[in-house]
Amino acid sequence: MSVITDLQISATDRTPEIHLSPSAGVFSMKGESFPEDVSAFYGQVIVAIDQLAAKLDKPLEVDIAMVYINSSSIKAMFRIFEGFEAVRKAGQAVNIRWHHQDDDDIMQELGEDFKDRFPELSFDIKVL
Amino acid sequence: MEDPLFDLYDREKRLLAEGPALLESDNDAELRAFAERLFERFAKVVRENEDLTRHSDRQEQRLVKLNQNLKTQTRELDQRKTELESLSTQLAKYLPPQIHEALFAGNYDTRIATKRKKLTVFFSDIKGFTQTSENLQPEALTEYLNEYFSEMTQIALEHGATIDKYMGDAMMVFFGDPETRGVRDDARACVEMALRMLERLAQLQQRWRASGFDNPFEIRIGINTGYCNVGNFGSEQRLSYTIIGGEVNLAQRLESHADVGGILMSYETWVHVQDMVDAEPRGAMEMKGIARNVQTYGVKGRKRTGEAPAFALSHPAGVSIDLDPTTLDDHDRQALAEKLAHLAQRLRQQD
Repeated sequence: MSVITDLQISATDRTPEIHLSPSAGVFSMKGESFPEDVSAFYGQVIVAIDQLAAKLDKPLEVDIAMVYINSSSIKAMFRIFEGFEAVRKAGQAVNIRWHHQDDDDIMQELGEDFKDRFPELSFDIKVL
Repeated sequence: MEDPLFDLYDREKRLLAEGPALLESDNDAELRAFAERLFERFAKVVRENEDLTRHSDRQEQRLVKLNQNLKTQTRELDQRKTELESLSTQLAKYLPPQIHEALFAGNYDTRIATKRKKLTVFFSDIKGFTQTSENLQPEALTEYLNEYFSEMTQIALEHGATIDKYMGDAMMVFFGDPETRGVRDDARACVEMALRMLERLAQLQQRWRASGFDNPFEIRIGINTGYCNVGNFGSEQRLSYTIIGGEVNLAQRLESHADVGGILMSYETWVHVQDMVDAEPRGAMEMKGIARNVQTYGVKGRKRTGEAPAFALSHPAGVSIDLDPTTLDDHDRQALAEKLAHLAQRLRQQD
């Protein structure tokens, strides 16, 4: 089985910190997301996630802790979650922990929306 | 590494691109498979759209709330700003304007710190104030004294002086800190200010006499240039921005030896202003605390220049004209001359 390289993107004022390590079976994403070009920013992430289904040999542990996310970025996250769904269908468990601030009902409700849309994924919504 | 060629809607667009050709096809199986994929993608897009719309509404509600909070905070800040401006205006009356401006600009150091600097120091004092004050009702005294200090202070500020303090009927100001135009120009500004003060006082005296103040204030002025300690004196709890030193005392002594209505200055000041004022030597004075004998000069007036003379007229009845005709154009000069001639004619015809 070929190895997919890790992906490490540092946070900026407009984009979140993203870390993907297929060898460790972890994906994390945290911060704010309102990139100038959503397709260009998330393209690399979506392409890497889409490759996971065929190559991952262990469960995928996912941590998402967003403070702000614009509508275009949510479209990108749907694509990322479709990738998680493909991993699950390929036989690996995907355990998602969706973190939000105690008083951030917007991020809490967004997590619940994703949980409803992808009911087959293990989904835990937690207060930071 | 960002991917500029990636398109978030690539799947939808690929599906749409297949459509035209397949719709021309008679192959029911192909059409059915396409319809199923189209339906599946359409269902996803509808669900995504629902979620996005809901999320967008939540964000909008938060923005509305934030906007309301911002408006409330802006109102509170405006109110606070108004209070601070009012406080600043009140404080400005107690502080030298340069210090006040620096304080509110946030670049004034309030530590106890002093430095030696060459300054020109001005002292003025009202002659026989105690006796004068005994002859006036307290209300009238307050009115005349406030008018006197207001007029003198205005002139001092116009000339860039730092007003150190008022001490009863005396006034102490200096030039050279916190802003300086150089020792020479500081000294010249101080002497020019003193001359303007005496000129203004002469006008005030006429008005006061006309209003019943028959023995109006007269002042003495002393000016000295020398090294002083200037800065914040006092304690951490209470500071005073002021000057101290032998040269400061000398300015006060010069004032006490000045003619009534005159200016007495030290040699150190005179060297900077000898081309702008006529001054006569008044001999050397011994000053307690000053090692040297101090040569003094009494100011006689501004030096005459080749310029057109000013038109000046004063009369105890309340007439005061100090006119520089070069500031008027032909039309204004003629108009003023006609008005004065008219007044003169009326005056002659008065019974």
